[in-house]
Amino acid sequence: MEVGQIQRQWVDCMKSLFIEVSTLLPTIKTLEGFLDAQFLQLKQLQDETNPEFVVEVVSLFFEDSERLLADLTNALDQKAIDFKKVDAHVHQLKGSSSSIGAQRVKNACIAFRSFCEEQNVDACLRCLQQVKQEYFLVKTKLETLLGLEQQIVGAGGSIPMMELSL
Amino acid sequence: MAVESEVVVVGGRGEKEHFHVLAVDDSVIDRKLLERLLTVSSCKVTCVDSGDQALKYLGLLDDLHNTINASSPSLHSSHHEGTKVNMIMTDYCMPGMSGYDLLKRLKGSPWKDIPVVIMSSENVPSRISMCLEGGAEEFLLKPLQLSDLEKLQPYFPKFPDNSCEGESTSADEDNDQDNNHYNCNSISKRKATSAEPREKSRSKMKEYN
Repeated sequence: MEVGQIQRQWVDCMKSLFIEVSTLLPTIKTLEGFLDAQFLQLKQLQDETNPEFVVEVVSLFFEDSERLLADLTNALDQKAIDFKKVDAHVHQLKGSSSSIGAQRVKNACIAFRSFCEEQNVDACLRCLQQVKQEYFLVKTKLETLLGLEQQIVGAGGSIPMMELSL
Repeated sequence: MAVESEVVVVGGRGEKEHFHVLAVDDSVIDRKLLERLLTVSSCKVTCVDSGDQALKYLGLLDDLHNTINASSPSLHSSHHEGTKVNMIMTDYCMPGMSGYDLLKRLKGSPWKDIPVVIMSSENVPSRISMCLEGGAEEFLLKPLQLSDLEKLQPYFPKFPDNSCEGESTSADEDNDQDNNHYNCNSISKRKATSAEPREKSRSKMKEYN
């Protein structure tokens, strides 16, 4: 595949990460993107002296999140749920998703925390499902994006410049 | 375990001194982000994952008996090759010792004159006041950005190549200011009301070669 094609795929992937267009409700043009401006800040911190920075941070995020999701599943599976513990895990996940710009994961965590406070088991379980869903969606998209970047660079091309009005 | 990273700055005067920041955060992602932000700002960074590790690094915690060691830090700096710490940046919310607890311990120690910056993902005005009143120089809201590092420029002494590689052009201005004290309001206002995304210039990404 020629570089131009891969670059166009990259542009589409970037756009889909930041802007989600509603197909169900045409009156609502855009929904919340998977990523917010904080991700762009990460890209700005990457340069020739540290060309793998984004990949490294994203990889750490994947490891950390999967560990936290496993801990959360376990904590909510207990007969006597320790809501403080659950809340602590969600707080951590909220923090790390916020640091990389994973907006929807972060927002799902915010909702989750309010149900922890209420000690509402059913709502917490629903929230956990929601957080997992959002996480796996953004993970898939990020893996695609970073894979395309690797291909572009490998083919001797450069990552396109993009201006996004968020 | 302390993880150290250093950027090599080739200064015209041959000075190899870097502004050394001790970064304390239990989140591996936030440590990585902070390390990068500080490195691009030409600082030397050491990362630890807890208040206890920070105290150990500074020679304030006796490993065997877990008591505060009130003796001079210079006795303990030898095993860190005499590396001086110029600033401490700590997360507020950490398991065990919080950033505030760490702040209080530092202020009661031989390291009391070293500027301490506290970071938090939660914008709680009473928390911010408490930290500032407790002696913290700054309180920064997470997630941290390059513009936040600009706020810290007044605390960095004038090293020949110590400039922020970010969008800041105000670094010179900041260094010229005599008044290093920030008004509480300016810190708590920052991002407190704005749910808005950053300004457009931030959305331009650097070309990757």
